[in-house]
Amino acid sequence: MGESLCVESGHLARTDWTETLVSKQLRKQEGGRRFGALAAVLAVAAVAATGCSSGGSGQQQDESAPLEVWIRQDAGSPAAESAQALTEAFSKKSGIEAKLVAVGVTDFETKLQQRTAQKDLPDIVINDTGQLGNLVTQGLVREVDREGVAGSADIADRAWEAARGYDGKYYGVPFNSQAFALLIRKDWREEVGADVPKSWDELTELAVKFTEEDPDGNGKDDTAGMVVPGTTTRGYLTWWFSTMLWSEGGGFVEKQGDGYAPAIDGAASVEAVEKLQAMFCDSKVVQPGASTADSSTTHTVFESGKGGIYLTGPYMLPRFDGSLGKDKYEVVAAPPGAGGTATALAEGENVYMMAGSANEKGQQEFAEFAASPAGQKIGLGVDNGGIIVRLPVNTTVDGAAERGDPRWDVFQKAYDTSGRNAPALPNWSTVRQISSEGLNGVVSDCSRDVAGAMGKLAGEIDEELEKQGAKG
Amino acid sequence: MRNDTALGLQEARGPWARVLRFVLYTVLFAVFAGPLLALMIGAFTPTVDPTQFTLLPDRLSLDNLERAIDRNVLDYLLNSFLVVGGGLALQVLVSVFAGYALARKRFRGSAVVLVLVLATMMLPEEVLAVPLSVLLADLPVLHVSLVGSLVGMIVPVAAWGFSILVMTEFMKEIPKELEESARLDGAGELRVFWQVVLPLCRPALGVIGIFGFTMIWDQYMLPLLVATDPAQYTLPLALRSLRSDDQVGIGVLLVGAFLAMLPSVLAFLALQRSFIRGLTSGAVKG
Amino acid sequence: MAVTEARTSSRGTGGVRRPPRTAPPMTTRLRRAATPCLFLAPALLLFLYFKFIPMAQAVRMSFEEVRPFLGNTYVGGANYSEIAGSSDFGAAVWHTVVLAVATTAGSIVLGLALALLLEGQTRSLWFIRSAIFLPVVTAMAVVAEVWRVMYYPAEGGALNSVLSVFGMGPSEFLNSPDSSLASIAFVGIWRGAPYDMMIFLAGLAGVDRVLYEASAVDGASRFRRIWHVTLPGLRPVFAILLTLAAIRGLRIFTEVFLLTNGGPDGSTEVLLTLTYKLGLERNELGVAAAGTVLLFLVLLVLTVASRLRRKEVR
Repeated sequence: MGESLCVESGHLARTDWTETLVSKQLRKQEGGRRFGALAAVLAVAAVAATGCSSGGSGQQQDESAPLEVWIRQDAGSPAAESAQALTEAFSKKSGIEAKLVAVGVTDFETKLQQRTAQKDLPDIVINDTGQLGNLVTQGLVREVDREGVAGSADIADRAWEAARGYDGKYYGVPFNSQAFALLIRKDWREEVGADVPKSWDELTELAVKFTEEDPDGNGKDDTAGMVVPGTTTRGYLTWWFSTMLWSEGGGFVEKQGDGYAPAIDGAASVEAVEKLQAMFCDSKVVQPGASTADSSTTHTVFESGKGGIYLTGPYMLPRFDGSLGKDKYEVVAAPPGAGGTATALAEGENVYMMAGSANEKGQQEFAEFAASPAGQKIGLGVDNGGIIVRLPVNTTVDGAAERGDPRWDVFQKAYDTSGRNAPALPNWSTVRQISSEGLNGVVSDCSRDVAGAMGKLAGEIDEELEKQGAKG
Repeated sequence: MRNDTALGLQEARGPWARVLRFVLYTVLFAVFAGPLLALMIGAFTPTVDPTQFTLLPDRLSLDNLERAIDRNVLDYLLNSFLVVGGGLALQVLVSVFAGYALARKRFRGSAVVLVLVLATMMLPEEVLAVPLSVLLADLPVLHVSLVGSLVGMIVPVAAWGFSILVMTEFMKEIPKELEESARLDGAGELRVFWQVVLPLCRPALGVIGIFGFTMIWDQYMLPLLVATDPAQYTLPLALRSLRSDDQVGIGVLLVGAFLAMLPSVLAFLALQRSFIRGLTSGAVKG
Repeated sequence: MAVTEARTSSRGTGGVRRPPRTAPPMTTRLRRAATPCLFLAPALLLFLYFKFIPMAQAVRMSFEEVRPFLGNTYVGGANYSEIAGSSDFGAAVWHTVVLAVATTAGSIVLGLALALLLEGQTRSLWFIRSAIFLPVVTAMAVVAEVWRVMYYPAEGGALNSVLSVFGMGPSEFLNSPDSSLASIAFVGIWRGAPYDMMIFLAGLAGVDRVLYEASAVDGASRFRRIWHVTLPGLRPVFAILLTLAAIRGLRIFTEVFLLTNGGPDGSTEVLLTLTYKLGLERNELGVAAAGTVLLFLVLLVLTVASRLRRKEVR
């Protein structure tokens, strides 16, 4: 039964695929030579013709075949140990052998590419929601039938949304989610006599106080209000700015018709970017070197007591509890901005069922187990500290209660009430990269006119949307 | 004694010369080694200050070292040693052979071969990674897989353009007469190579030894493609994952870097020996 | 330039090179032809497998849209126009050349100075040379971490404290588009000079000491001795370094990637960081291959041209 079903869905996916491919090829050739276009069409036809055999959906099925499970965690880390516990529990329950491979964070893409080139993918990959577009365009993942997943209804809608591709179909089963919140130095805030900020403007004011009033009392002007990873690497600046931009009522792109249109040059967005520029140029509340800092740098800035406000995910709590001390900082949801409502960037990880597996039934069972209360509880890592489930995707599991730490509730609430996933573009990471370049320019060159720069950025985003076939 | 070095700086005696030398060494030490040493001290402090160096921290701790050992850094260190041991021996051998042919033999196409050797250094390995990973899993013609064993990390580094280039340029400088007089004495090709040319290249052997060690020690992409299991990881792989791990601070990375640096420095100290001249000029003139 | 000069003067002092030959018998000729092949075989075989085959495939990839799982499709020059048509391409090429020239020149000059100053056998010299070599044996990730701290762009930063002693600064270093490129070049020289120093030292060890004695007898000054004896003796070193410099310099990536990733505001974007962004970061391997093939071609042309020139001079 597994086989016939898979072949069918494989066919569907492939037809789609070919369409996108053909249209993409044609677009690429628009300015080019006829010959190229012809060759491309022929090549596409060849791909389509050989379709089913190369895709691997026709793989002989064996319901007891062992599964190879990849997770994006570093070998030997506590998180990898939790993942090991998860696979062991799965094997015990289902009787299907499963081998966990912890592939390092930095090298995940390279290793996956290697296996792709060898046409021998792992069966299960637990990876960022942001990678979905990429995996889908490369044809590496199988489509998921949301209703057919056992316990599907218990999984949060917002988490499902992050497992959905641009075409509206699902390509993963949610496993972990998280939202971003502010870590504020409580001792500093009390020192300067300020309240917990209620808006982004108040937040900026607090940052100014942290910068200017020597909150650590060491007599030196060496504290920064806001800790910002402003580098373009991996699009960090965009990633950080998303929460602020959305709260201020702006956006990078917006829905338009069946697709998307750039929104970064809209009035609200431009105003938000102007505020960002002011943080770097006028009030200078960001830490020195912010425009080239990546997250490993900013973690250090915050934990060494050089910065007061840090927008980050819940996974940093254990580290900062150890280095800074639990009593030194508080967790606060990102406040609303000019847009009126608070919005926080939401992210997470999905269980992806990779193409070409010999045990598709086992794949599905693994994904179901990972999202089930039992799987989620193991992932919370309460016993061993290795957190692979930050906020449970399963609504019947109360993460904060399991952990006995109310600060996690702040993140959970932020996710539930104001969480917002990155736009479901065919490839969001490219747009993220382009935007971070544009934003980095504005914060590096204080004399640059924001409206003009954002107009230019909008043009670039528009071009990219067109390339991805996602223009409305 | 007087004419031992080009500048003759060491021969100057007297208090002023000594003071000047001391000042020079101190400045050079501070500029090149100072920042690194300060950072290494950072490896043994609880939290690293991102704004300033502290040469005298409040308290030292071995927390970072313990955490690094928890992450199996010592196993990775052993793998690194195995790979560098095998790889360097092969690499030096291959380089001196190739350098000998390119420098001491005149043959058609030697210029082309040299350009080919240089060409191998021109493409970044990130781009070669995808084709290379397919190739490593199934070598053309031989149909052997190098994936999943340390051998796969050793064989591909055995030929390195830099070493070949260095050997070639240095071997060109050895006077022809020596070789020819050995041949007149009835020495065969291998003996000329082994007993005449090679001993005269000691400084160059030192250079390719030191840089070869560093090159293999720092290999990143190849071990990544070859390893199928963390048990086969080498130290640089471990370093990268330590840096990217949000849960460990920079301190653990620095401990790893410290461990990675030590063997290179020791190798350097050992191989500097070959820079002692004496052999060379003695033989040439003798 | 230096190479040519060194070459001609080494002729003057080198003495007899090639004795006249008579045509050797057939078997010897055959053996002569076979020997270089045998000596070269291991290197060339290894290169064939682990370099040339992957390189050929990379060149092919540069004309394809690479989707290993679904099959690649031929796209003609589209990947090339994606790179070369990018608005940052011209600036990236310029930054690459500037960085390559600055780091190469700086490293060679400083490396030579270090080698001359630190040549010798005393224990303290061994120690100081090893200390100076530390930057070369330190992983780039750590070097980047060091310089981030050194370049901390506020008044209390390590390097800014030094600058303030001389009444300068504080500088923004990596963080301002005006100083970022120079800051990266400086790190390149800091790491490149000890590297070059080592090769110079090996060259110095090979210089014939009898010539020093002779020049001392002639009463030549230190400067003249270095100019007429030492530098010509370093001919192989200059040949190596200048060849490597072009390759090393134009291929610059890791330093920039780790320190600024092309920022701030694209002021340090080089060819390979641009390629990385357009290709690898977006998973478009064909584009990445095209970017590096472009670089490869430039390097190849440069190398062949310099080899031909040297041949002509000879």
